[in-house]
Amino acid sequence: MAGLVLPFRRRISIAGMTADTPASDDHAALIQAIAQRRDRVAFAALFRFFAPRVKAWMLRGGASPVAAEELAQETMLTVWQKAALFDPARAGASTWIFTIARNQRIDSLRRERHPGTLLPDPADEPEGPVQADRVMAMAQQEARIREAMAELPAEQADVIRKAFFEDKVHAEIEKELGIPLGTVKSRLRLAMNRLRTALGDLT
Amino acid sequence: MISHHPSETTLLAYAAGSLPEALAIVAATHIGGCKLCRHRLEALEAVGGVLLDSLSPATLSDDALDRLLARADEAPPALPPVRNAGLPPPLDRVPLGRWWPIGIGARWRPLQAEGAAWGGLILVQPGRALPRHGHEGLELTCVLKGAFADGSGLYGPGDLSEPQEDHDQPPVAEAGEPCLCVIASEGMRLRGLLGIGQRMIGL
Repeated sequence: MAGLVLPFRRRISIAGMTADTPASDDHAALIQAIAQRRDRVAFAALFRFFAPRVKAWMLRGGASPVAAEELAQETMLTVWQKAALFDPARAGASTWIFTIARNQRIDSLRRERHPGTLLPDPADEPEGPVQADRVMAMAQQEARIREAMAELPAEQADVIRKAFFEDKVHAEIEKELGIPLGTVKSRLRLAMNRLRTALGDLT
Repeated sequence: MISHHPSETTLLAYAAGSLPEALAIVAATHIGGCKLCRHRLEALEAVGGVLLDSLSPATLSDDALDRLLARADEAPPALPPVRNAGLPPPLDRVPLGRWWPIGIGARWRPLQAEGAAWGGLILVQPGRALPRHGHEGLELTCVLKGAFADGSGLYGPGDLSEPQEDHDQPPVAEAGEPCLCVIASEGMRLRGLLGIGQRMIGL
């Protein structure tokens, strides 16, 4: 398959977590290959990177191993089905797949499923013409957030990670970390301010 | 012109998928009409994407990819039907109950949502007070039509009210057209007339 290179990997550390993180441009190219050619090799490469991480995220959110794998499967199936809606001007590849995984989990927590009602996948809601500079900006957004996250003080990264990974409402984070709710909120605010500064005028 | 927005922590919980459904519906109603918050949300979702990348992969079953590829021709699930034409998304596709009179000059229409919050539409005649905020936990109100004012400001269409502290002044619908809002709370039942209404209809 022409033009497809294996994702470049580099070691990075985010607040104590180390991971193989590929350049997100490559993942975007894989999604576009799926969209253009129903490219199963591209999909397999994307699956190998994301499916185990989506499952890990579901496990952290409290899903059983069986349910977590099922949700990872549904997430990746949606990636396959909606690849044509992926717009690199709107979101990076990891961001897009994160939102799909999140929506799958929300739907799974309901007795009656209303797929996509509440939090439409970003690609489902076109916003009109996107400016060319925004395409560049979105391509850089994940990279800049990755750098900013790596530079956050551990305590701030910790509350953000708990908020995203463990489905904790702030009161539960308060209980678990043994710090007052006001401190949880102020750490979140500080962390968000730093991330926003890192993003400059993107947001 | 939208001038009142959700707090950073509320938007973060929404991006992470951990807001209870009724609150998420109110937040989504605001975000759908607010370009600023859509961009704030995209940045927060990018944080989710970066964090997803950083997770240690979980182990999948050996045949996970093959089982998924066997489903490659499945169509994605359809969106639920539009039930409430005339309301902005996502309210247009959300199941709503019937209208209930609650006291003089106010009507209440519960929305069917799961999780630790309840919500609905409220329609208040000009000059009449909206039910006072309970201030137990998070409460969100998004104006759909008309306007109301409380101690913290004037709220028009698209504005989102997220009270941070007790206001002595209850929200009162402005003169002109009736004020239609979607409201959700994870707190105690509302005080006053709406509280009676809530008990009558078994919320």
